Amino acid sequence: MKPPAAGRTRLSFAASCHLLLLPSVLLLLLFIYLPVMWAFLKSLYEFEVGSKARFVGLANYLEYLVIDPPTWPSVLNMALLTLVGVGVRLTFPLIVAKLIHSLPFERTRYLYRLAFLIPIVVPGVAIQLLWSRMIYADYGLINEVLRTCGLGAWTHSWLNDPRTALTALMFFGFPFAGGFEVLIYYAGLSAIPESVNEAAALEGCTGVGKFLRIDVPLVLSQLKLIFVLTVIGGLQGFEGIFVLTQGGPGFRTMVPGLWMYYNAFAFQRMGYACAIGVLLFVVILGLTLLNLRYFRSAEEMQGGTS
Amino acid sequence: MSRPATIRLFRYLSLLGILTLGAVLLWPAREAPAVAGAAPVRSPSGERKHVLRITAGQNYLPGSVPQGIGQPLQGLTRVVADFEARFPDTKVEVIAVPQEREFLVTQLSGGSAPDIVAVNVEDVWVDVQKEWYVPLDRYLEAPNPFVVAQGDPAAPGTRQWWDMFRYQAITRGKAAPDGGNYCVSLDMVETGIFYNRTFFVQHGLRPPDTWGEFLTLLRRVQELGKVPLLANVDSLSDWGTDLLFDQLYYDLLPGIDVKLDDPVRAAYLQGYLDSDELSFLHRKGFFTRRDPRYVELWRRLGELRPFLTKDVNALDLTREFVTQQAVMIWNGSWMVYRLHADRQLGFEWGVFYLPPLTPADSVYARGVPMCVIGGVGSQLEVTSSAVSDTDPALPFAERIARSERLQRVVSLLQFICLPENTARIVNEYPAFIPNIVGVPVHPDLQPFVEILKRRYTTTKWVFSFDLRFTDILKRTLHLYLTGDIGLEEFLHWQEANVTTATANFLQRKTIDLTPLERAWVRLAPVRAGYRDLPPEVQP
Repeated sequence: MKPPAAGRTRLSFAASCHLLLLPSVLLLLLFIYLPVMWAFLKSLYEFEVGSKARFVGLANYLEYLVIDPPTWPSVLNMALLTLVGVGVRLTFPLIVAKLIHSLPFERTRYLYRLAFLIPIVVPGVAIQLLWSRMIYADYGLINEVLRTCGLGAWTHSWLNDPRTALTALMFFGFPFAGGFEVLIYYAGLSAIPESVNEAAALEGCTGVGKFLRIDVPLVLSQLKLIFVLTVIGGLQGFEGIFVLTQGGPGFRTMVPGLWMYYNAFAFQRMGYACAIGVLLFVVILGLTLLNLRYFRSAEEMQGGTS
Repeated sequence: MSRPATIRLFRYLSLLGILTLGAVLLWPAREAPAVAGAAPVRSPSGERKHVLRITAGQNYLPGSVPQGIGQPLQGLTRVVADFEARFPDTKVEVIAVPQEREFLVTQLSGGSAPDIVAVNVEDVWVDVQKEWYVPLDRYLEAPNPFVVAQGDPAAPGTRQWWDMFRYQAITRGKAAPDGGNYCVSLDMVETGIFYNRTFFVQHGLRPPDTWGEFLTLLRRVQELGKVPLLANVDSLSDWGTDLLFDQLYYDLLPGIDVKLDDPVRAAYLQGYLDSDELSFLHRKGFFTRRDPRYVELWRRLGELRPFLTKDVNALDLTREFVTQQAVMIWNGSWMVYRLHADRQLGFEWGVFYLPPLTPADSVYARGVPMCVIGGVGSQLEVTSSAVSDTDPALPFAERIARSERLQRVVSLLQFICLPENTARIVNEYPAFIPNIVGVPVHPDLQPFVEILKRRYTTTKWVFSFDLRFTDILKRTLHLYLTGDIGLEEFLHWQEANVTTATANFLQRKTIDLTPLERAWVRLAPVRAGYRDLPPEVQP
């Protein structure tokens, strides 16, 4: 919407915008910024629900970074899971989107898009539970199939074996073509001007070459978005791990977010959990800013923005 | 009507038909009729003065089917109905709540928890200083009015409610570290090793008498192509740790039990090492890599590793036992019900107890008989919701003294403890041993009654500190038992875990260790005769 030209009207229009934004900003302050600041404050205290808080300064940070044994194994797990997550979400859905986009008939493309979209409405926890049943130790689908095929010796407690638990988690969501990512990439591919495609065809740039040289650079904005979302999700998300392994066996699939949850709600160490949360916040913020600074899309580079 | 309009109408009617068919197919099935004479679990409160809300835990939840076998439970419903008949101004709602601790903590902090909850009292201990729970000692030490009303002066409960409990040491052993009792224990559960007696007879095997024989037996079964022993990390970190700990430390108690002077404790707990003492002893070098007995404890537990099922984290291992893939399973008395009810069970079963370590098995063992590790099954605690009829600004003790509602809540517990009522609840299916004197025990549970005659354990590690300690213990023990980490790495984790847990415990509870230090000095001559103590305390 364009503001009217006249100065006074423009001022009034701006005031109206501010006024309309005010409830959202207030709610944002109340439910997002205030808790973050509150968490930072509480991270300097040792306290649990129903007890008086005791100021301990940076002791919680020190304990987490230096003393607490699960810290570094869980950070390593988080890094590995995030790395794999970024890898698969930047490739598999893009390939699927490209394949759908390349189909000749709009009706078929629509059906495929629909097929990849529908799983989005299924709650994540339901999918995680379904997945856990599939790879459950003894009676899961995978093990039963192996038994049926006479490969009983290959049956395995995939999530409970310390050697395979993390890998089994990485395979969660196979074949990694999430509807959300597919749609984002598809939208990016659809936004490529037809003139660019025609020029590429005239230059003899087709197939994989066109995909790598033309399509990928032009969907860099989408790749960047998915990258940022995946990194944030990888660093702070733990629901899937909580449902599937609870961070076990041992600490083989523990991640900082889950350890924060356990400390807050199971062990009642709220101050300590706040300290973990603040550290995660700082890391995520830092990575996001780095990403915004150095990972620029083709359009941004053309426009000279950073 | 035009053709497009007809098509539209047809589409609407089709959609309506599909929706109706879907609704019919998905309509919930009618619930099974309630047992005749039983009151509904939940019913509107009406205009009654007291509406008490209680949870019964999973074992006795009315309407639930224990272990998925048999009829829905109704015992507690009937007892509650009798209570309501006695107190017409009171309505009791038995409700099901999540078992998660997160739920309980939020409900308690918000003041909306049920009046009576059924949780492990160890989860209560960590929160008693927050005044979320009502100490029950003054009621337990007074007569049970319902017993008094029955007019038999010799009946347990006439003098004090405490006398009604059959297993005094275990029941009183549930006292919190602050000395208060916060739970009423209706029943007992004991562990044992269930074995396939038919298989034993076929192969000339017999239950072992010593740890060495036990290992030989496990090896022999493995050679016969079966999984020898089913036990999960939960049971090994709890029962396994405490039983072997007792075997290795029991003979040291005269020199290290620094709270022997307490007459109540001495009478019932026979030298139990509580959290204060464990923390104190750890500061003296015990339960570290420098403590030979502590190392020995985990080494012996690790000897079971080759004979366990591959998945030691499985929650339910009984399938492997009943299908005879495995020959022994270490489980609680609740498994009796499942075996008892299994009409297709193709073998005879028996129960033996974990055999003791002898000096031949370990240089630190003295061959003392194995102790009892089991404990109370259902533990009922009264929450601060029970005093919600008083002014929250008053001190908690005063609220307790003034609350009429609390009196009614305690009355309900006292009423439940009458033998005829406990029998209706606990003996509704054979899984737990009644803890009330005068309540008969199911014959299939007799082996566990015999086990419960033994002396009580020296300590219970997983219930001594905080939930973080227990969590780390279980996690690292899992890795150790699956061979993912070695003994040295496990000990490193465990020592750090005990150090952190004891430091947190002492700081949170502000324990004064001076009296323990005095007792420690006094016991020095006793320890002079001990060998293989940690270097810090070696005479």
